Amino acid sequence: MDHSILGEQGSMKKLLLVGNPNVGKSVLFSSLTGRYVTVSNYPGTTVEVSRGNARLLGRLWQVIDTPGVNNLLPHSEDERVTRDLLMEEGGHKVIQVADAKNLRRALLITLELAEMGLNQILVLNMEDEARDLGIQIDVHKLSEVLGIPVVTTVATRKKGLDRVIQSLEKMRVGSCTTSFAPEIEQAVADLEPLLPEAPISRRSLALMLLCGDETLSAWLNARVTERDVARIEQICRALQTKYEEPVAYVVNRQRLLKADQIVDQVMRKGIQEFPRRFQRIGDFSMHPIWGLPILLTVLFLIYLVVGRFGAGFLVDLIENEFFGQVLVPWTQKAAQLIPIAFLRDLLVGQYGLVTMALTYALAIVLPIVGTFFFAFGVLEDSGYMPRLAVLVNKAFKLVGLSGKAVLPLLLGLGCDTMATLTARILDTKRERILVTLLLALGVPCSAQLGVILGMLGGLSMGAVLIWAGVVMATMLLVGFLAARVLPGEEGAFVLEIPPMRVPQLRNVLVKTTARVEWYLKEAVPLFILATLILFILDRIGVLETLQSTFQPLVSSWLGLPQRTTEAFLIGFLRRDYGAAGLYSLSRQGELDPIQVLVSLVTITLFVPCVANLMMIFKERGWRTAVSIVLVVFPVAFGVGGLLNHVLRWTGWTP
Amino acid sequence: MRHRHRRGHGSSQGRSMEDEQRLEEYLETLWYLQEEGRQELSHIKDAVGEAEASHLLLALMENRWVRVDGDRFCFEPEGAQKASQIVRRHRLAERLLHDVLDMGPDQVEEDACRFEHILSADATESICTFLGHPQTCPHGRPIPPGPCCQRFVKEVTPLVRPLADLNPGQQGTITFITPKFRSRLHQLSSLGVIPGTSVRLRQRHPTFVIQVGESTIAMDADLARNIFVRSQG
Ligand SMILES: [Zn+2]
Ligand SMILES: [Zn+2]
Repeated sequence: MDHSILGEQGSMKKLLLVGNPNVGKSVLFSSLTGRYVTVSNYPGTTVEVSRGNARLLGRLWQVIDTPGVNNLLPHSEDERVTRDLLMEEGGHKVIQVADAKNLRRALLITLELAEMGLNQILVLNMEDEARDLGIQIDVHKLSEVLGIPVVTTVATRKKGLDRVIQSLEKMRVGSCTTSFAPEIEQAVADLEPLLPEAPISRRSLALMLLCGDETLSAWLNARVTERDVARIEQICRALQTKYEEPVAYVVNRQRLLKADQIVDQVMRKGIQEFPRRFQRIGDFSMHPIWGLPILLTVLFLIYLVVGRFGAGFLVDLIENEFFGQVLVPWTQKAAQLIPIAFLRDLLVGQYGLVTMALTYALAIVLPIVGTFFFAFGVLEDSGYMPRLAVLVNKAFKLVGLSGKAVLPLLLGLGCDTMATLTARILDTKRERILVTLLLALGVPCSAQLGVILGMLGGLSMGAVLIWAGVVMATMLLVGFLAARVLPGEEGAFVLEIPPMRVPQLRNVLVKTTARVEWYLKEAVPLFILATLILFILDRIGVLETLQSTFQPLVSSWLGLPQRTTEAFLIGFLRRDYGAAGLYSLSRQGELDPIQVLVSLVTITLFVPCVANLMMIFKERGWRTAVSIVLVVFPVAFGVGGLLNHVLRWTGWTP
Repeated sequence: MRHRHRRGHGSSQGRSMEDEQRLEEYLETLWYLQEEGRQELSHIKDAVGEAEASHLLLALMENRWVRVDGDRFCFEPEGAQKASQIVRRHRLAERLLHDVLDMGPDQVEEDACRFEHILSADATESICTFLGHPQTCPHGRPIPPGPCCQRFVKEVTPLVRPLADLNPGQQGTITFITPKFRSRLHQLSSLGVIPGTSVRLRQRHPTFVIQVGESTIAMDADLARNIFVRSQG
């Protein structure tokens, strides 16, 4: 992932930006690094880590923006990634970024970094806001107490940046650490001799283990004999029996008390109320009554960006203007030069790689997905998402979920596969399974949604409402029933609400690019593969056989023409691709309005695409994957057929 | 949950006792109807039957416990007082059987019907205090407060109560967090929420939102009920 510019990688020192979420780390990161920034997922996770190079004090550094953390004793995936980055290799340095308004929580991390024995400085960012609130921090005193350089900045206005760079020379290991209760200290002393050499201190490792950190076990097993592992486990268990509460909680409390002592020494808090412009909007967006109109406005704006601009303007531009006028005719002309008809068809035939795969992938899907990820990034960066979670929490309880699940479900509108991976942020296994099921069942990805709305828009508003109503009712019913069947209890949810703020365009663009890149890598090969399979099935006549095999189901029960089998088939390879297939069928006039509605409801509820299924398999195991397919398949065809018969019976035309 | 009473239990006792019990049951029936906002005379007929309804009304009006305004009934002060005490005894008994003897909400009904006629004022008060002055029965219906509950509100509430009982805007200092949600303790402490920390409740609906220093944290009602605070008004 590291694209070296100068080949100085080997000698390049690493500079890690560490801090609580929403303290302005990424703004500082942007001002320190140049234009060449890479954003990549930390191996095996959904967590994005940005890296860039910077020439500071006459030497080249690799600067790494780590995910925001509240504690280096990992609880979430973000926290784990940051802890692991700190444990990778030795000799790197840490810039801890803190919100000057929230010194107490920053100090919890400072104390942990000192315990790890890492060189660091502390940056008190948003110093202006703290001053407006009447908070006064004695920086010299704080630096003395902690034993590390402390500087103040206003990163958004690049104020204090030079102070940060100057203090890099004076980086030191913090001298202020926490002492714990005698039993804990004794257990630490017992553990230390058993632990291997590591880039962070044995004391900090010992404390993590005592706090029941299971994420370390793989690392430990690779370095310590089996007998020592057993002894380590025994010491940890013995300590836990002495406390009614989890040791992690006891340790956190003692650290926070130490942080409180420091705060008392260095900070004077005023009582001014700070007029925060966006705080009001933030409060309204969580309000039981005002929250709703705000939500509707947000949805409408998303529709404008994704539906009108992405699916309308951009698709038109790329599909008609570029693909229709330029690329396809040109390729067709070029293909005339190919003497073999088979190859010609493969490229520009009915199931051709250019005419079908590339057109669908780049001309239809990419603009829609791209604009969706952009809109999603804006929402994320503004701090609206957690507020939405607060708003929908109670409604989600009905289907056994907490408000937190709104994030993966919304992201599912971009790409169900990516969203399935993101289900990890949920706290209980039960919730993760429920979200995975609902994503697989009824959440159409934005490309599919774009195509569906395009087709339904041609019918009537009533058709759109019936489609949305049937899909949502099915999801609610299945979720409601699944929540009753699935074992495990509902987790009580806790969620930090970040301050509302104006989204940073650069932040949003960097994230959008990373996601689109991920999507293209994931989707385009599958588009090509799907087209190839169709092409071959068509050539060897299997397509026809399949169509006649499924004829009873498709024709009699769903009341659809035979060729829709094709759409369902490729729908399994990619759902949006399947919807695009239906789109072209209806454009050729092969579907009547009821057939359009029935086929769209069926394909929306249809089994997840291959990529999503593989992700479910990887994340949740094969049992869950198989069970989900066994639920989704009958539900999709059952509901579709039912709708068909009800519509025909009532004689209603959409 | 409606509480309907079969007539005639305790019939082995003397006639006047039985009469008194029947009057109490009548009062109780009307109290439940009033709670549901069904105060028309036709509602009484629906509840107890045509013949019984006129019996009931006549008896209660004779005692000046209830009067009729047009087609609706209402309680006279004395009747309301008496009825609320009967319901209070009934529902406290339910709580006792449910909380202490671990009986399900469906099982407590019948026994509670017996208790409501025999508990003395003193016994009722000690049960109420013992149970911590509960506000609802196991079925979620309100328990009319007694004198002991009012004293409790004045003297004890300012000390320690669940975070969930604060009003929006009120502040408190966390005194303890019950370990019911063990897995949440680590996360809460990472966010700075530990005993000794001062919190302000920002909103209760649709989800609890609290302010701790400069941090805003949303949490489920279930969790807010397990965090206890000393309120600061
Ligand atoms: Zn009851
Ligand atoms: Zn009481």
